[in-house]
Amino acid sequence: MSAAAPPSLPPQASYAEMVGLVADPVLERRPGRLWWIAFGVTLLLTLGFAACLAWLFIQGVGIWGVNTPVVWGFAIANFVWWLGIGHAGTLISALLLLTRQGWRASINRFAEAMTLFAATIAGLFPIMHLGRPYRFYWLLPYPNTMELWPQWRSALVWDFAAISTYIIFSILFWYWGLIPDLATMRDRAHSRLARRLYGIFALGWRGSARHWHRHDVLYRAMAALAVPLVVSVHSVVGMDFAASLMPGWQETIFPPYFVVGAMFSGFAMVLTLAVLLRWGLGLQEIITARHFDAMGKIVLAGSVAMGLSYLTEWFNAWYGGAWIERGHLRFLFTGDYAPLYFAMLVCNVLVPQLLWSGRLRRNLVVAFTVSIVVNIGMWLERILIIWNTLSHTHLPAMRHLFHPTFWDWATLGCSIGVFGCLFLCFARLLPAVAMHDLNKQLHGEKEARA
Amino acid sequence: MSGAALSRRQAALGLLAAAMSGSLVACSEPEEEILPYVNQPEGLIPGVPQRYATALPLNGYGRGVVCTAFEGRPVKIEGNALHPASLGATDAFAEAELMQLYDPDRLRSPRRDGRPASWEVFLAELLPRLDPARGGEGLRLLTGPLTSPTLLRLIGALRERFPRMGWHTHAPIDEENARRGAELAFGRPLDLLPVLDRAEVVLCLDADPLGPGPDQIRHGRGFAAQRQARAGAARFGRLYALEPAISLTGANADHHLLARPEEFRDLAAWLAAELGAPLPRPELPEDRRRILRAVAADLAAHAGAALVLAGEALAPELHALAHWLNARLAAPVEAVAPVQGAAAPLRELVAAMRAGQVETLLILGANPAYDAPADLGFAEALRQVPFAACHGLHLDETAAACRWALPAPHALEEWGDLRARDGSAAIVQPLIRPLYGTRSAPALLGLLLGQLDLSAHEAVRATWRGDRTPEEFEAWWRRAVHDGLVPESAAPRLALPVPRLPELPPAPRQEGMVLLLRPDASTWDGSFANNAWLQECPQPLTRQVWGHAARLAPEEAARHGLTAGQVVRLEIDGRSLEVTTLLDPGVAPGVVALTLGHGRSRAGALGTGLGADAYRLRRSDALWVLPGLRLAPTGRHEPPILAQQEQQLEGEARDLLPLVTLDAALRDHEPSPQHRIDQPSLYPDFRYDAQAWAMVIDTTLCIGCNACVIACQAENNIPVIGPEEVARGRDMHWLRIDTYVQEAGGTLRPGFQPVPCMHCEQAPCEPVCPVAASVHDHEGLNVQVYNRCIGTRFCQSNCPYKVRRFNFYGYADGQEYGNRGAPVVAAQHNPEVTVRARGVMEKCTYCVQRISAARRQAEKEDRPIGPEEVVTACQAACPTRAIRFGDLSRPESDPARLRREPHHYALLGELGTRPRTTYLQRVRNPNPALEGGGA
Repeated sequence: MSAAAPPSLPPQASYAEMVGLVADPVLERRPGRLWWIAFGVTLLLTLGFAACLAWLFIQGVGIWGVNTPVVWGFAIANFVWWLGIGHAGTLISALLLLTRQGWRASINRFAEAMTLFAATIAGLFPIMHLGRPYRFYWLLPYPNTMELWPQWRSALVWDFAAISTYIIFSILFWYWGLIPDLATMRDRAHSRLARRLYGIFALGWRGSARHWHRHDVLYRAMAALAVPLVVSVHSVVGMDFAASLMPGWQETIFPPYFVVGAMFSGFAMVLTLAVLLRWGLGLQEIITARHFDAMGKIVLAGSVAMGLSYLTEWFNAWYGGAWIERGHLRFLFTGDYAPLYFAMLVCNVLVPQLLWSGRLRRNLVVAFTVSIVVNIGMWLERILIIWNTLSHTHLPAMRHLFHPTFWDWATLGCSIGVFGCLFLCFARLLPAVAMHDLNKQLHGEKEARA
Repeated sequence: MSGAALSRRQAALGLLAAAMSGSLVACSEPEEEILPYVNQPEGLIPGVPQRYATALPLNGYGRGVVCTAFEGRPVKIEGNALHPASLGATDAFAEAELMQLYDPDRLRSPRRDGRPASWEVFLAELLPRLDPARGGEGLRLLTGPLTSPTLLRLIGALRERFPRMGWHTHAPIDEENARRGAELAFGRPLDLLPVLDRAEVVLCLDADPLGPGPDQIRHGRGFAAQRQARAGAARFGRLYALEPAISLTGANADHHLLARPEEFRDLAAWLAAELGAPLPRPELPEDRRRILRAVAADLAAHAGAALVLAGEALAPELHALAHWLNARLAAPVEAVAPVQGAAAPLRELVAAMRAGQVETLLILGANPAYDAPADLGFAEALRQVPFAACHGLHLDETAAACRWALPAPHALEEWGDLRARDGSAAIVQPLIRPLYGTRSAPALLGLLLGQLDLSAHEAVRATWRGDRTPEEFEAWWRRAVHDGLVPESAAPRLALPVPRLPELPPAPRQEGMVLLLRPDASTWDGSFANNAWLQECPQPLTRQVWGHAARLAPEEAARHGLTAGQVVRLEIDGRSLEVTTLLDPGVAPGVVALTLGHGRSRAGALGTGLGADAYRLRRSDALWVLPGLRLAPTGRHEPPILAQQEQQLEGEARDLLPLVTLDAALRDHEPSPQHRIDQPSLYPDFRYDAQAWAMVIDTTLCIGCNACVIACQAENNIPVIGPEEVARGRDMHWLRIDTYVQEAGGTLRPGFQPVPCMHCEQAPCEPVCPVAASVHDHEGLNVQVYNRCIGTRFCQSNCPYKVRRFNFYGYADGQEYGNRGAPVVAAQHNPEVTVRARGVMEKCTYCVQRISAARRQAEKEDRPIGPEEVVTACQAACPTRAIRFGDLSRPESDPARLRREPHHYALLGELGTRPRTTYLQRVRNPNPALEGGGA
């Protein structure tokens, strides 16, 4: 399949040029004014995030809009959203590697970094969500004098295990792929300090055939492990909701639906970042229209799958006939959150249909806009899953809406700042594209032409 | 307002000292004889609570209670089964008296012109003014309504000493119309006591026997006696209510008709004519005639067990007409001589004050500067009194306007006595040494009598000593104090003379809007305005907290351009006030209903400034119904804070609280799938070797009075969170009374559903907790382990009943609302129940501490737990005994028995949760003549 695919890299490019394209912005060029401004803003937001955390721990979760029926709020929605975003990187790396989609080489590195940062931020939210966050480790099966284990039937325990596994795995996978490039950086760096640091993390990589052999074997083995892991993480997150008896949550479709949603939002975020990186680091030669075309198709597929999931949800709620399920369905379309629900449908289902057109897929402005819209839509979906179910509970006496507070919005906004700050650092310190994979791909394309 | 604040340690030591000094053994011996003890008294075990009988006043009448105290700290009030006004149950006010006792805003020392002063200075100023030679010229005494034999005796003595002294009483929620109606009918003052448990058909003409007040418990029990929907039961009562705005009685009636206040004259006259009174039959619209015809036939058919009640807002002539009707129907009504002492009314005092005839004024337990009708101008007249002293719990509006504000002890701090409505007397005994530098009312009257060292204890004993020998008296006293009821003290029932048929006044012609004033279910007349429990307790029917609202029908609001939650200006005769609106279809057209007791300017840190002061519109000639009302929208929006926002049940949601006719309820039928308790499950059943606790709540009997809500709050240390937090939807009550409205018999009818934890067999909260904080115990309780909870809140999000409550802030643990963190408030905490910290989930435990206490006792005595041994706090409080709790494994236990009733059901049974708390459907008994056989 990859043999028949059109080339993604410029045919006349040389290997050294490619390495230079990626490494030079880090090693040769000084950060521009725009980078500093962006870094300053995101750093401020990061400090803001620290302030949000501090105020939360001083005052308690009461600073948020959560209330007696809607006990879950932004923290859980943010968690699911960030974790969804944190899916695409590993998926791109692993799934596309296993299916020999060579074009992944241009995007897999920064997508993996995105995964790492997003999953880490996501991991913070459930802890912040807790009433007594300093006891979060009670979810771990650690030996203790109380001789008490976690309660294994709870989806939250599965969740805790799945996320921590996923984050650890993502770090390892990302780092393993980075080692050869770190060695390249070590070799090209001018300053002693840079050489030292890159050298330490390159773990003495010499590029010998043995090194490459072992690297590739392990990398492919990890990729094979990664795919089920990616699927399992968001399935388990879906079970946080599905393993309940609340209308709108208790649906067997939730695990696959969450995985698709995660892929969808993750790819949208990769699209966003690809546009920004390409422009910021001058990677026009490396991230080409062909990449946007491919990612656009995946986003489109995700959008169609989401639409089908929604339809299935509606149909089942109606077909099941339970008054509470039907009441939930009615609330989706006529309740207090209906405008947001329609906005979500527009963002997630309607707008991505633009990507049927190949011309629009390759148009960066369109790709960027659609990706932002999808991410807004996916956040809306996360929060609406919580709001629509919990604010419209079985007993009419206990129905109460959720009104977000300043701290709800601040925590969400600042978490995006943290992500931006981490990503800006990444772009300045590490090769944003997997150089060795890129050249492997270039080699393949050259051979195919020859 | 605050005196020297005590640290927690100081408060604890102080309380310990109070306990040591002997108030603990007040049950058996007067405190003076046993102070201080060196050896621990027999029977006193530290940590084991002691229970004492006493009585609490409401509008002057006593309700007997049994109060639980831990080491000298009263922590819980329950009913006294021996007392005729309690019958073992309580009302919300009685339960909340603890918060009156521990209110940090209480007046702590005498104040002269607002500055702290001493009792000695007060004495030095007062005594020279009491020259017996002047015969009490210029001396006036103003009290609240009084039934206390001791106080009445002392006032009698006072009048002997000062023959020209004037004694006045003032009660904002009075029975003037009822009293005058009885005089009209019988030619002499009488108190009439309807006996609801013998009344099979009751017609309430704007009367609210089930509403808040000193009779709520007795009437509630009587009502319940007639409403036992049980398979095989022979009779079931019927209640008709005609009223201008829906009350609790109207909410529980089988037929309810909204009528404007001025209609009642014609309605009553038509009914009387139908029942044979020689009265001209007034013109009435057909719908009125139809219902009255049916009511009259029903009443006549049940002669001997039919009853007509007239409300206080009706004219005395209509009360007299009701007496005539009752005589005609041989209604179950008893009559006693008036229990309250007769004194001159307030308006004579104000006239004397205006005329400068009052030199010394002593106000005991009244707050007329706030709650007197505005046209009297009491506060203004008070300025002309050179020496006024006000004796009360708070530095209220009147105390602040007097030269002297004197701190009064709470009823749980001092000796006293009170009579119930039927004259039964109870000794009020203190459970705690007075917290502040207070002096009792008897001691104060003692001052006037020249007995400077008269103690309340002595005064009460002197009242009751009579001609008993000392030995006899001691035995008698111990028995009376122990039982909480003076034996054979009930007033003799009088034979009722034949009532005269009164001459009815012409029907008032009122075209415009009418303002209807009503007592408040949370603040009563305003005296409970600073009571955090009552303020936060959702008011019956409206479910509003922390304030009140002008209630009017939606069409009426639309006619005046008002929307829900908009502030409206109510204007009558140039006086006006602004209050938020609540749309309520249960209010007659052209009527605005507003409760008294809010808008206080000096209630305390919590109650001041909540709502609007309806007394400002009140006139002494129009206390309850004020014509000539004008509404002006202000455009401001201040929505009332509602603990429940949706009340209407439609479609299949009606299965949540089925409202069925008697026939349909008792017909033997298979429960619908929505109501089944035994849905199949994939999980194996739990096995129980011990008790299987369960609760069945009869929604037919629930009158929505809120006693259980406050009882639960007191028993389980449930924090108060304040209006902002309730508005955010974080109400902490473990037990709530869901109020639903649904169509039945062609109109919308309300129903009440108390919802504690369901203690499900297949509890959705249990499997989702990651740290096993929500677990099933060996007796079937679904228990919450606070220490283990880390606050994921998964349990609550998965609870279909949403009965769990989360400490979003440290509501009881460092982030208390208002001054609820004051050390003295902590003294109320029940030591048997954990005070929950921030970040943990909590919920109803079926009062597991009581179960545990009973189990320990039974194990010590090597016997099984007795059938009625465990009584939950809500069950104990319930005046109608709608809540039954017990061991399901005994087939004869209450819940086991009630579960076999045909109209038993499980709330949301279709979910397969198999709740241990289940319900009986709400049964109504419509008149077939009005509802075509019922449906």
